[in-house]
Amino acid sequence: MAAIELETLGKVYPGGVEAVKGVDLAIGDGEFVVLVGPSGCGKSTILRMIAGLERVTHGEIRIGGARVNEREPAERDIAMVFQTYALYPHMSVRQNLAYGLRNRRMPKAEIARRIATAARILQLSDLLDRKPRALSGGQRQRVAMGRAIVREPAAFLFDEPLSNLDAKLRIHMRGEIKQLHRRLGTTSVYVTHDQLEAMTLADRLVVVNGGRIEQQGAPLDLYRHPATTFVAGFLGAPAMNLFDAAVEAGALRVGDAVLASAVAHPGGRVTAGLRPEALRLSPDAGGAFHLDYVEELGGARLLHGRIGGQAMVAQTAVEAPVAERMALATDPADLHLFDPATGRRLG
Amino acid sequence: MVEHRPVLTALAHAVLILGVLAVAFPVWLAFVASTHPSTTFLSGLVPLWPGDHWRETYGQMFGTGISTSGAPPLGLMMGNSLIMALSIALGKIAISILSAFAIVFFRFPFRHLAFWLIFVTLMLPVEVRIVPTFKVVADLGMLNSYAGLAVPLIASATATFLFRQFFLTIPDELVEAARIDGAGPLKFFRDILLPLSRTNMAALFVILFIYGWNQYIWPLIVTTDERLYTVVMGIKRMVDVADAEPQWNYVMATATLAMLPPVLVVVAMQRLFVKGLIEQEK
Repeated sequence: MAAIELETLGKVYPGGVEAVKGVDLAIGDGEFVVLVGPSGCGKSTILRMIAGLERVTHGEIRIGGARVNEREPAERDIAMVFQTYALYPHMSVRQNLAYGLRNRRMPKAEIARRIATAARILQLSDLLDRKPRALSGGQRQRVAMGRAIVREPAAFLFDEPLSNLDAKLRIHMRGEIKQLHRRLGTTSVYVTHDQLEAMTLADRLVVVNGGRIEQQGAPLDLYRHPATTFVAGFLGAPAMNLFDAAVEAGALRVGDAVLASAVAHPGGRVTAGLRPEALRLSPDAGGAFHLDYVEELGGARLLHGRIGGQAMVAQTAVEAPVAERMALATDPADLHLFDPATGRRLG
Repeated sequence: MVEHRPVLTALAHAVLILGVLAVAFPVWLAFVASTHPSTTFLSGLVPLWPGDHWRETYGQMFGTGISTSGAPPLGLMMGNSLIMALSIALGKIAISILSAFAIVFFRFPFRHLAFWLIFVTLMLPVEVRIVPTFKVVADLGMLNSYAGLAVPLIASATATFLFRQFFLTIPDELVEAARIDGAGPLKFFRDILLPLSRTNMAALFVILFIYGWNQYIWPLIVTTDERLYTVVMGIKRMVDVADAEPQWNYVMATATLAMLPPVLVVVAMQRLFVKGLIEQEK
């Protein structure tokens, strides 16, 4: 186990595309850090640079305090779990687990011991002599994790490991990964584009956008206090409503409608953010909210509509009345205000 | 086709049977001819059923050969053909899998040029470059040797291309997983690439063995020593007798026997062969 430090890490691909722009990140020993962002944001590139699969253009990577920029992937004491699992198709599960250890000339008895331990943790004991093609998606995923575990590395690197699984299995494996981390306590860096996966797994969440770190912190802190409109819109499902509004004398106005009063802001144009569950709707023939359509979620209901020409989604209880026009109110504490020009949080 | 019309089924069978007959009938005739005395065919009547003369014919072919035609005993020629075909097939596979490995997995200057140069040689089979190739082989002192028979035919653009296409389907993540597992290039080649290419190698072996076995012009040119004659050459020499009728029973016996090794190879490797050509192991 070891800490990982990234210092002004940058990657420029041949052809001039700058995928990662000066990322500073300190990952503590035993920490579970999730890099999350839309596809093409550079999160995978960061992970692959830590793994040693991409050359570092500038900056430095340290694992356990030692600079590893020039080291081969095998010399970095890391293990990686790939999106497609990347199991060796012609080898049995046992051989898949043993391959990396045999290449390190580990004694046979030690290899057998480690495989037995990993197989027990991941419930692979009955599958050890099967070939990967005779395994289900979830089992393959577990073998891929087993291949990482037997190495007993300084850090695990996960590259979207659950993207190829169906929704139900994904939730199950998410739980297994979380338990595994609690049990082993190995430093882990996890890349995903799924914000829910990121929220549930992370000790610390790092939101990446356009090759830069947009915001980092505990998942709940980011959820409650997004620093930018990007983070605000990215975390949470259904996504936060972001709309143009104005603050006049402490009142938040969208067109003629007043959504909240006693807003702590000197006044002017803002980008306002409101989570769908923070909106309170009541039927009102003169209300500002024009209903477009309703989505039933079972436990709740999503009302899609417009207010002053801007799209707005509200989440309500299934019992709550629904009408074509509705009045809309919210608590000023639930309101997020952002600078309309820079997208940065105000106040 | 999911239709179940009896007429169509009968028609399909008729076409297939016709095809099989077109291929099989000449082979049958060759076999029949080899079992009759040499005089039977010269009479102009072609029998359709095997005769009783096969023991003498095959016995003599295996034993002494027919000296009048200048063909050595059959065993020697079959052996030569086998050595040549095996050298060509194995050599081609070895060289092309290594070339494809270099072209697909390594970044070096002029990589694409190298690939296209290999590709262009598809347009230059032995028959086209026969005079310069002969000169090279002669200057290297390889006339009348097994090396001279096989080496000039070993370079293969087709096999390189096939391996390249297969290697391109191997996911990057598999290569990266091997790197993280501490497998260097040669270890990766031996532990992962070779086992995964097994079916492709088998399919290529079948094709290339037959290619090597059927070589005619090249052995004819580089060998003047009877001890290096291949069986395909032998057949031709037996037909080309001067001032006499060819002894068709011997010719046909040789042809029948010459067919056997390729047939055995195909039968033995049939399953791998089909697998290697149509599907990739997942």
